[in-house]
Amino acid sequence: MNAAARKVLLVIEDGTEYVDAFTRLAPASREVELLAAPDASAARRLLAERRVDGIFLDVDFSRTPADRLLPGGARDQGFRIASALAPLFEPGVPIVIAHDFTLEPERLEALRERVPALEGIVDGTPISRVLERLTAP
Amino acid sequence: MIARVGLALLVATLAAPPDEPSPAGCIKDGGDLYAEADALLAEASRDPNGPALARARERLRAARRLSPSVDRTLQGADLAFATGDSEEGVDLLAAAAERNAGRLTPAELYLVARRAEERRRWREAIARYAALARMLDERGEDGSLIQAHLRPLILEAEAAEVAPPGAEPPVEAQLALADARRALSAGRLGEAREKLSVALHLAPTYVEALDALGAVETRAGHTSAAIRAYRAAVAADPGRVETLSALANLLWGEPDRAAKEESLAMLDRAVTLRPDLRPLMRRSAMRWAEFGDAPTALERLDRFLQNATPQEREETRALRETLARRVREASRTPETAPSKPAEPLPPEPASGAVALWQKARVLAARGDSESLATALALLAEAEAQDPSFASAPELAASIHQKRGEGDKAIASLERATEADPSRASTWEGLARALERDPRRSATAEDAWRRAAAAGSTEALFQLGEAAEKKGRRSEAIDFYRRYRDEAPAGSRAAEAAAAVARLEGQKRAAVWVFVGAVALAAIVGAVALYRRRSGRSFAEWLNEYPARAAEARPVLGRVRHEALKHGGLLLSDGAARIEAGGRESVEAARLLSTRLYGEGNSAGLIAETQGAIDELRAIASQDRVRLNLRHRDAVFSWLVKGLETLRRAHRPLERIAEEEDPPAEATRRLARILNDAARSFVLASGTEMERSLDRAAALPVRADALRALLARVAAEIGVVQPELETIGGVGVESPLPLLRMPAADWETLWRNLFSNALAPKDEPRGRPVRLGLSAQKRRDPITGEPRLRIALADDLPGALSAEQLRGRPSDRGWGVIEEVLRKNDGAFEIAPSPKGGFTKAIVLDLPALEEPA
Repeated sequence: MNAAARKVLLVIEDGTEYVDAFTRLAPASREVELLAAPDASAARRLLAERRVDGIFLDVDFSRTPADRLLPGGARDQGFRIASALAPLFEPGVPIVIAHDFTLEPERLEALRERVPALEGIVDGTPISRVLERLTAP
Repeated sequence: MIARVGLALLVATLAAPPDEPSPAGCIKDGGDLYAEADALLAEASRDPNGPALARARERLRAARRLSPSVDRTLQGADLAFATGDSEEGVDLLAAAAERNAGRLTPAELYLVARRAEERRRWREAIARYAALARMLDERGEDGSLIQAHLRPLILEAEAAEVAPPGAEPPVEAQLALADARRALSAGRLGEAREKLSVALHLAPTYVEALDALGAVETRAGHTSAAIRAYRAAVAADPGRVETLSALANLLWGEPDRAAKEESLAMLDRAVTLRPDLRPLMRRSAMRWAEFGDAPTALERLDRFLQNATPQEREETRALRETLARRVREASRTPETAPSKPAEPLPPEPASGAVALWQKARVLAARGDSESLATALALLAEAEAQDPSFASAPELAASIHQKRGEGDKAIASLERATEADPSRASTWEGLARALERDPRRSATAEDAWRRAAAAGSTEALFQLGEAAEKKGRRSEAIDFYRRYRDEAPAGSRAAEAAAAVARLEGQKRAAVWVFVGAVALAAIVGAVALYRRRSGRSFAEWLNEYPARAAEARPVLGRVRHEALKHGGLLLSDGAARIEAGGRESVEAARLLSTRLYGEGNSAGLIAETQGAIDELRAIASQDRVRLNLRHRDAVFSWLVKGLETLRRAHRPLERIAEEEDPPAEATRRLARILNDAARSFVLASGTEMERSLDRAAALPVRADALRALLARVAAEIGVVQPELETIGGVGVESPLPLLRMPAADWETLWRNLFSNALAPKDEPRGRPVRLGLSAQKRRDPITGEPRLRIALADDLPGALSAEQLRGRPSDRGWGVIEEVLRKNDGAFEIAPSPKGGFTKAIVLDLPALEEPA
């Protein structure tokens, strides 16, 4: 597969765990380009510069310095970033947040009003399945 | 010789006076009778066919009885030969030779010797041939043939003195002995004696039965009867060490010196037979010392000390010094050792095989190689003649042992046991021979068992020792006890008694140890079971202490985040990559190793999760609750198992991470472990954990309950209770979502809100305050979480802002309210009056629970 055809995924997390996991544990990661953003402003820049085919959001950004956090706290920063960047998300681009909505379907529905393509991941889901979901046509 | 007889007859006939009858009633002496005989011989010379010759021989016989004379005896012999009575002739020659062999001619002496040989009177024949040989030597004639003839005669004579072996006892006797030994072991001495009586009636020389009888009488305290029985046993088989030892022990206890001498002789014989039994040697030394024979005692003691242990040397040191001093003192006037008791004379041989065996015994006793070889040949012949004659191969075995031919000795003993399986001594011999070969110890033990079955008491002791060495304590005790019961005066009775005491002590100790171990195991088990079953699950704890839900929630959030979310993301994919092998496997292993076990500042998934679990336990322990997550909690138990599984993967994961090309088997095994952990984490449902928290934290909002609280607060303050209206616009909906807040916090919150409303400081009022209540559920627009806005409206005058309320002392009024809200993720604001008649509303924004779908 040539570079032009590769899908581009944006991973927004306060470390490198998810990028590392995608890279080393999901064989399909060879077919995607992974962009990493440590906070909302970095993600905003990347979204402005690049077209992305999928976005993965961590929830807890406790390791991010407070001055780089969106107001409201680190514990649910992922939701705040999703909400803040929602206008930049291309329609149809899958947005996966590292949260299990099994007990909160109405919450997911409420969030989708602002981020329509938002999805959660059920606890125990392998990273390869997450990648699969992000790269699904 | 015939010429001489004829000449004598002739001279006598010529010289003899006529024969006349003696006057009736006249007493005659030898001379008279010889005179009459001479007269009759004279008459016979005239009429050789008449009765005078016969009467002359009668007169001579009578005369020799009254007045023995070598000449007249020889005359009688001549007359007997002359009349063809060579039987009497040789008898008379023998009688003459008895008195003066030098008066006989070599031919006459030969006749006498030959006759003794024919009659198997070996000693007499030997003496006559020896005298003949001397006579020929004195005459300068060649006596070598006579000397050569002597050697087999000596062998015959010695063999004749060897007692023939006893015959196999009948089966009935063997059965009776078996019954007797059972009775003896059970302590039924009367019954044992009765059975032994039957056995000995059937086989009077049945050695094992005699031994058993000795044991019965010893235990019954009938020492004399016991000694009689053992003496009979020794007579039947002088080579039984156990019997000799038992008899020696009993005799030693007798008061008379003769019995003690006999005892010492028995003990010495036992020591000679079994020099390997060191206790016997020591006992011999002690008894000789006690008997007053210091030199013999010292000699025995020195032999004992040759292989003594340091402790034994120390124990006997004083005795040896005493003995040595006495020997030195007595060297000027040495004492005489007691005489040894005489051996009983053996019976005559009964068969050809027995005779061969007897000769072989003699040859074996000589011990030179030629004699031993000849003995073996004789024994082979005896065995061929009578294959059931066990004594032949048994003796052959002892000869082979003397010659150092162990295997041949064993083979001979095996043939002996086949020929007669009832002989305890043969089995004992076989067992001892087998014991010399370490490879055949099992066979030796089997032989000892056969010996015990045949009545060997020594075998019982040996089997006891073997069982003890192999750790079969109960079996060893049983054998030692049997030995003690069946050989109460045996050579090792003291050892057996000590062994029984020692082993029973060990057994008791072992039983106590076992009981203690069982008790300990039971206690440990009970504690383990208690710990397994006791304690509370996470849900049980929170149901009992719902106020802890707020503290537990963030901790549980870490558990879900680390183990359930990240574990799920990493483990199954990691397992698949590792199992794939190659470079990817190594990369995946390195990643997992870092993520699971930490690196640098990162503690790793396992430590983080374990830390969160420990924190939950610590919170629960504040309520004196032990969280039993491993065994009592259906949800958390999978989480704990998953962590345990991952700990097992640490080393394998590190090894693969260090490899260039990890082996397939190692990667497969590690993948299996990781998949197991992944499955455990999936089963540790995070949603169920969350539900437990929600159930504990769920708080229903009830207007009637708030009105009741308002009434209580008004009563406490001492004001008229105001009405709490539900106001329109944002009226209290039904049903309202459940709040995520502890009930106590909820009450504290409202108690302070009501207190503030009922007791305003700034303006006294003439009427009760008017209060209104409204509620509205909503969702946070950013996080989507459910919230409940509850407004408390009042008609109090004056403006009030949230900023004014914030920062008030935390232990009073609004400070308390603010603290409760902060703790429960709540907020407040002051809103304008939602409805006419109210001046403002205090709006609480509180987290709610998701309503069930």
